[in-house]
Amino acid sequence: MAINILIVDDSGVMRSMVQKAMQLSGLAIGEVHQASNGQEGLTALEAHWIDLVIADINMPVMNGEEMIERMQAQPELKAIPTIVISTEGSRSRIERLQKIGVRFIHKPFSPEMIRDTLKDILGSEVFHERSH
Amino acid sequence: MNAAISARLAEVTMETLERLAYIFAAPAPEAPAAAGSPLETVRVDFTGRFTGGMELALSASVLAELAANMLGAEEGTTLSADEQRDALRELANVVCGNLLPAIAGSEHEFNIHTPYLASADGPEWKDPAGLSHLVLENGVCRVRMRVDGGLPRELAATPRTAAEQG
Repeated sequence: MAINILIVDDSGVMRSMVQKAMQLSGLAIGEVHQASNGQEGLTALEAHWIDLVIADINMPVMNGEEMIERMQAQPELKAIPTIVISTEGSRSRIERLQKIGVRFIHKPFSPEMIRDTLKDILGSEVFHERSH
Repeated sequence: MNAAISARLAEVTMETLERLAYIFAAPAPEAPAAAGSPLETVRVDFTGRFTGGMELALSASVLAELAANMLGAEEGTTLSADEQRDALRELANVVCGNLLPAIAGSEHEFNIHTPYLASADGPEWKDPAGLSHLVLENGVCRVRMRVDGGLPRELAATPRTAAEQG
């Protein structure tokens, strides 16, 4: 089974970094969709089958927290595993996200942090055998 | 100028450069010579417990290395000017995001706006709250912080130490 991913970040360089780290993790990746803000992210979620959402918080137009709140309000999107990768340092904001099941990775991140979080929420069966 | 903020600027920028782009930097007591390379400057504004902005200026000669290392580009690959500037904006975003809790603690929420390239004739920041200079192998870096209306009294009076940040 390959995982379809949506990466939402206003920095193209950061979206590429995240995608590269996910490829290095050994995750069986299907389609990769990208969006540069929360509004575009929601549009992509309506247009494609997405198994995993990776989102930043601080973005123009619609930030990541609002996008996730809107996902929570839609039954068909609520259960999609979501990881926030952000510089966010506010304990209260991180706890708000964690309470609704969102995983948090702090920037700057290492590929190992991405791999370990992915394995934790998706399970080892969606990784190629060569991953370690 | 607040010496504690200047120290945090240097610490967070050095750590971010190292972890994000494998670029090592060292603090410089005063503005080092730019070695003939102009500075590319990016600014990022923020609101929250206090409001202001952070500016990061990096030698243009370092931009290609910065972007290539962030993207894990293969040796010999030349990334576009847009990619290099995007890498600089993201560097500033990550530095600012890590700087604010280092100064204010993790109990406050800040909103960090989209980083933007600063033009040479843009408004000058007078009396910055903090300023640090760094030297890199292939260039220099200057980071400044502006706090509109000054720091809240409790933060100005009791600067956090590196140990308190964890």
